[in-house]
Amino acid sequence: MSSQSASTSNTDWPGRYHHIDQVLNSPGPRTDPAFLAGDGVKDFLRHQAKILVIGAGGLGCEILANLALTGFKDIHVIDMDTIDISNLNRQFLFRTKDVGKPKATVAAEFIMKRVPGVKVTPYFGKIQDKDDNYYMQFNLVICGLDSVEARRWMNATLVNLVDPENPESLKPLIDGGTEGFKGQARVILPTITSCYECSLDMLNKPTAFPICTIANTPRLPEHCIEWASVLEWPRVQGDKKMDTDDPEHIGWLFSVAAARAKEFNIEGVTWSLTQGVVKNIIPAIASTNAIISAACCNEAFKIATSSAAYLNNYFMLIGTEGVYSYTFEHEKRDDCPVCGGEALELTFSADLTVEGLIEMLVEKQDIQIKKPSLSSPKSQIYLQAPPQLEEATRPNLAKRVSELVPNGGEVTVTASTLPFSLSLRITYT
Amino acid sequence: MAESLNIENATVTIATDAQPDNKTRRYDRQLRLWAATGQSALENSRILVISGSATSTSILKNLVLPGIGHFTILDNEKVSPEDAGNNFFLEGQSSIGKSRAEEAVRLLAELNDSVESKADTSNLEDILEKNSSYLTSFTIVIAHNLDPKLLDRLSTLLWSDVSHPTLVVVRSAGFLAEFFIQFHEHPIIESHSETAPSLRLDKAFPALLDYSLSLDFETMDPTDHTHVPYVIILVRALEDWKKSHEGKPPQTYLEKKAFKEGVLAMKIKFDEENFDEAESQAYRCWTETTVPSEIASLFQYPALSSLSPSSPPFFHLLAALQKFTLEPPYTLPLTSTLPDMKANTTSYIHLQKLYKARAEEEKERFKSFLTVPVDDSIVDTFVKNAHGLKVLRGRKWGALDADPTALANAISTSSKQVAIHLSLSALTALIMKQPGVAPTIEALTQEAQSLLPPGSEFPEEFSDAVGEVARAPTADLPNTAALLGGLVAQEVIKMITKQYVPIESYCVVDLVETWTGII
Ligand SMILES: [Zn+2]
Repeated sequence: MSSQSASTSNTDWPGRYHHIDQVLNSPGPRTDPAFLAGDGVKDFLRHQAKILVIGAGGLGCEILANLALTGFKDIHVIDMDTIDISNLNRQFLFRTKDVGKPKATVAAEFIMKRVPGVKVTPYFGKIQDKDDNYYMQFNLVICGLDSVEARRWMNATLVNLVDPENPESLKPLIDGGTEGFKGQARVILPTITSCYECSLDMLNKPTAFPICTIANTPRLPEHCIEWASVLEWPRVQGDKKMDTDDPEHIGWLFSVAAARAKEFNIEGVTWSLTQGVVKNIIPAIASTNAIISAACCNEAFKIATSSAAYLNNYFMLIGTEGVYSYTFEHEKRDDCPVCGGEALELTFSADLTVEGLIEMLVEKQDIQIKKPSLSSPKSQIYLQAPPQLEEATRPNLAKRVSELVPNGGEVTVTASTLPFSLSLRITYT
Repeated sequence: MAESLNIENATVTIATDAQPDNKTRRYDRQLRLWAATGQSALENSRILVISGSATSTSILKNLVLPGIGHFTILDNEKVSPEDAGNNFFLEGQSSIGKSRAEEAVRLLAELNDSVESKADTSNLEDILEKNSSYLTSFTIVIAHNLDPKLLDRLSTLLWSDVSHPTLVVVRSAGFLAEFFIQFHEHPIIESHSETAPSLRLDKAFPALLDYSLSLDFETMDPTDHTHVPYVIILVRALEDWKKSHEGKPPQTYLEKKAFKEGVLAMKIKFDEENFDEAESQAYRCWTETTVPSEIASLFQYPALSSLSPSSPPFFHLLAALQKFTLEPPYTLPLTSTLPDMKANTTSYIHLQKLYKARAEEEKERFKSFLTVPVDDSIVDTFVKNAHGLKVLRGRKWGALDADPTALANAISTSSKQVAIHLSLSALTALIMKQPGVAPTIEALTQEAQSLLPPGSEFPEEFSDAVGEVARAPTADLPNTAALLGGLVAQEVIKMITKQYVPIESYCVVDLVETWTGII
């Protein structure tokens, strides 16, 4: 037993940390010599460390349980979702009676009930609701999200938080993700190692079907479903917002897609496929989430205690054929728009129009941007919003970029989905 | 017959067309991986887990959630204060002193109402002695950090008959772990292989060839020209090429280049993407479709030569497949799944119909080689997945450690994995010899040495591994337990569903450097 005061330790019964303490009481052969075995490290872990978990879903539930069992006692969790029945095959802190309730709250209550003496503070809302001061209070952040956009925001926020004068401002970010039997876990030291944005080109390109295929030459059941959701819904339902969680909406899309498939002799439109396509459903199972969350929490534990070296910096797992994993160092990108500092070099024809450049940016796998606004140091080139400025800059779309930006000049790209601005250095061919 | 078929069709229609029921909704994210067949295999499985340790409950959690049929925890221990601190499926201090099996089963069962569960507080040694048929009544038996003498008897019992359950042996200490799956053979139809089956453009079936020859590319309506699928373009281009090249496909680099140029020259407008696609897929014309070597090697399997009516259907199917491949066109049966390609609806659907009709014909021919009746749905799945078939052959637990030469050889190919394996084997042996005594590095090293041939060198990573084991010999760390829980459950799911490909040997885990490896 450590020598903690009775008030904080009344739930720490003798023997509670028998397992964990074996690696905290003495170093291993590969442990950093700076590791302070014994009470010091236990006190930090159990009484000082404050950790933030982003997401209380498939990964989040696992992460919270692991952190609590390893001895973290001040845990915060953010999630904006409520519990759905399709979560119950893996999000093991939730029961049928919890369907409809906020994930963050239910998860926090469950952990506190099951693991005595652990405080979990939930926030039912968006990560973007919180400011730098909020994020400054944590020692570590673990992300278990399925949204690329949210991860980019969190990553950029933590990179921007780094103040070279203040070592406390560097918050290690541990990120996990899964898809079916595959997943990855990584450690990001903002500004020091490769960040989330540095590796954006490793993501699978989302399947996008050309509008002309959907409208004129459907061949696959997916084409019929896209026709129903992208073209027919707005045409028939007008301004009514599509809710992909509403079974009536899915039912409508399914019947419209099925009718079109019948007309074109296309087989394979089902309810499940309709839902999969419109919600962009990624298969998810408890076991893969357990592996990746455990890997993330193990890194958090090692960083918080120095009991062993932490991952440098990427662990990838493929479980479809045997157990294949690959641990490697992902390289930092000098032209990373978040942590690189250098502008992204872009070379294209002097004849390319502003509209052409926008299309090119939307297509680029390593920046993944939806509706970019462009400006140069001298002028606004094209702005997506507000409407007045959009209208005022719209004539530029047809102009050649070379009319507006000199060779070697810079263009700043912004978008509502990006928490940072991207600088491009333009060279004409 | 006709009537029952109609009823079946109607049921399928209801199941896929209506809003899914609660069970389908609950399992939606996993059904997309292993479908209803995999789910029903899980629901029919019975799992026995020996000990209610943190690792054991972590494994079970990931099997109860997806909906196995039944699980039993066999454990005669009471919850200790140490257990209550690292196991999520115990309720802290209030569980201390109660039966570990009962507490863990109660809290795991909450995860899924449709799973049947049982806590068994009897003693494994007694069961091995008096009631071994109880142990063999399960689908899979999983044992974590089990006493080596009992493990030896258990593994021998389960190995003694091919119909006995698969055994999963899990060992862990601190940041290090390994697990092993003991099974005789494991045939897989749905390996979910990522390689697509051949479209057989080099051996175009008659209807496909006739259709491509019937098209007049030069006088065709220009809109139709832009929508001819690349499959048709290539079959036609290849046929034309062969006419002027003694019936041979392009062979040299220059010929292949000329062929591709020929394909592009068929364009009537520069932006015909279907011809660009044909050019990029042109390699299919000179890649001969044969029986893939991995599939051909399955035909050597001993079970095929001693086939009897009672042999598993898989081997009857395999034998029929072999006969099928011995006749022209000397390939696997055609599959009807076409990739998407530039085409309009009519031409694509027409092509799809040609493939479907031919695939049906070949399936009928395949069935004519079957010597026993096999369920139609299994034949369908088999033919559809013929290019990804696998048969894994396992070993008995302990076979590696009983063979010093094999162990020494393994060092040269998987040095760091064997380092951990040796350290964990040494730990198991020491705990048996001197229960309750903290193992020293020296004692562990001596034990490990006795497993290797005299005078052999340890792998260079051995001192790191053995040091880590000595540091935390009895630590069932929550993160290690959770990671093992996920890895083992993934393999168990693959074994039960007979989908995807499980490991055949040891999987080793190092959570200091965060890697997994196979011996
Ligand atoms: Zn970066």
